[in-house]
Amino acid sequence: MPHVEECPIVMQQEVAPGHFRIAVRSPAIAGEAQAGQFAMLQVAEGIYPFLRRPMSFERIFSDGVAFLFKVEGEGTRLLARRMVGQTLGVQGPLGKPFPVEAHFARHILVAGGIGVAPFPALAEALVRGCGKAPEVILAARTRDMLLCEADLRQIGCTVHVATDDGTAGVRAWAHEVLEKLAPDAHTRVYACGPMPMMKAVSQVAMRAGVDCQVSLEAQMACGDGACLGCVVESRKELEGEKMLRVCADGPVFDTTVIDWDAHDLAYDR
Amino acid sequence: MAVNLEVNVGGLRMANPVTVASGTFGYGQEYGRYYDLSKLGAVTVKSISLKPRAGNKPPRLVETPAGLLNAIGLQNVGIDAFIADKVPYLRNCHATIIANIYGHSPEEYAELARRIQAENAAEAIEANLSCPNVHDARNRKGAALVAQDPDKVALYTCAIRSATTLPLFIKLTPNVADICEPALAAQESGADAVSLINTLMGMAIDPDTRRPRLANIVGGLSGPAIRPVAVKMVWDAARVLKIPVIGMGGICDASDAVQFFVAGATAVAVGSVSFRNPLAAIEIVEGLARYLEQNQMADIRELTGSLVL
Repeated sequence: MPHVEECPIVMQQEVAPGHFRIAVRSPAIAGEAQAGQFAMLQVAEGIYPFLRRPMSFERIFSDGVAFLFKVEGEGTRLLARRMVGQTLGVQGPLGKPFPVEAHFARHILVAGGIGVAPFPALAEALVRGCGKAPEVILAARTRDMLLCEADLRQIGCTVHVATDDGTAGVRAWAHEVLEKLAPDAHTRVYACGPMPMMKAVSQVAMRAGVDCQVSLEAQMACGDGACLGCVVESRKELEGEKMLRVCADGPVFDTTVIDWDAHDLAYDR
Repeated sequence: MAVNLEVNVGGLRMANPVTVASGTFGYGQEYGRYYDLSKLGAVTVKSISLKPRAGNKPPRLVETPAGLLNAIGLQNVGIDAFIADKVPYLRNCHATIIANIYGHSPEEYAELARRIQAENAAEAIEANLSCPNVHDARNRKGAALVAQDPDKVALYTCAIRSATTLPLFIKLTPNVADICEPALAAQESGADAVSLINTLMGMAIDPDTRRPRLANIVGGLSGPAIRPVAVKMVWDAARVLKIPVIGMGGICDASDAVQFFVAGATAVAVGSVSFRNPLAAIEIVEGLARYLEQNQMADIRELTGSLVL
């Protein structure tokens, strides 16, 4: 059951230019949160911005949770200015978590930029649930934008770094690195990042017959499944004329149910 | 001091004068996770049509100053699934149900009303004659809403009236020059109350791409940005109507709700604020009781139409 709480902020740090980690104390939310789920954060004290902002759990501790975010607009700009000692309105946990299933022999996490946000929590859940740390493809535009590398290594992950400009790791796209790792039918891939990256990763996985779970981002009003504002189109041959709510049916989806072409049409800039 | 919050809205007895605005509360289940829905005066559900509707393509939502624009397009499960899957949950919670209905013709509205009464699926019906998001904005002629034409309001209201004896509320659009005309048309055609207001039509454009931010191009504006418009329309309508007004539009807390009662509303609906605070509607019920106590009023009905001039 989700909770609506004013939580004390216990940590706030800029982890990379324009990227922040904020941690709050809430034993109730931490006690129920699972990797892949999210919370709605009340970024403004007044009525502008009016809506909360959805953020995946980056870490789930015994008495609190952490969020990793990039400053993109007014909401995240206000969130970045919050300080330790203040409180933050947190509503959660919400949405469906990543599946954690030990019968897969190999787990590969594919992160693009700020899309790494839910993966430290997932890596820990996989260590607990499957007894083995996953491999991580950590991709970013440039070296300064690589997030969580040390944390993921500390959890025990093998980290494959890729940058668009070659300033760290290999100069390659995330899906190209995934192809080289040769995932097979006993592998599960988890992807989170920009839409073109997730689509490319999904195509690699689907071609190879590999199970692939994606965590989607969307503009949300409620986070509860009520407003129907955050939908993505499903593949009609599988689900019929169906709109899937990112907040309540996701944010984690098996990639095969998503109509990626429709999504391109809707959000292509 | 014990205060009375019970109201009678056109034949619907509500334990308190607070419901939720259709489309902001799903079918109740989403918010039943947070509190006991029987504590609300009524739960007004998302618009129901005869057949399920997939709704508009995304993006459907854009945040705007002190509110949001939406173009959901009446995505809903359809009347059969509503009765089979959604009503049992609300009945199990002992919620009072206001069924909001949407159709393409007077006959469809009448059929929906008949089904709802026959299946005992609600205590009252709210007819949505004012959704701004089900027309193709590229086609100028497609933009007219039923509630913008008083003659059509009369036609639709008569059709629904003849199909049901349940309390019938007509939900009107603020996108008109004079709200009194459609409101009087609803009253004269047998409506038991009017719901004011639906969203104001609006539009937002991305300056970088010059594209509309909504796939539907235009949408409906809600949230505190529209509250003064809504209060004024409730005041306008309540002065000329004999039937009650259910006031809504940007209510965020009990003092906002008080404005609507003072302007002439008999009950209020809490809308978009539920997205920001899922507990908002129930907090407003409690806040209204406190307001009455603090102002030495014994009954919420003393507040209705009590504007001091």
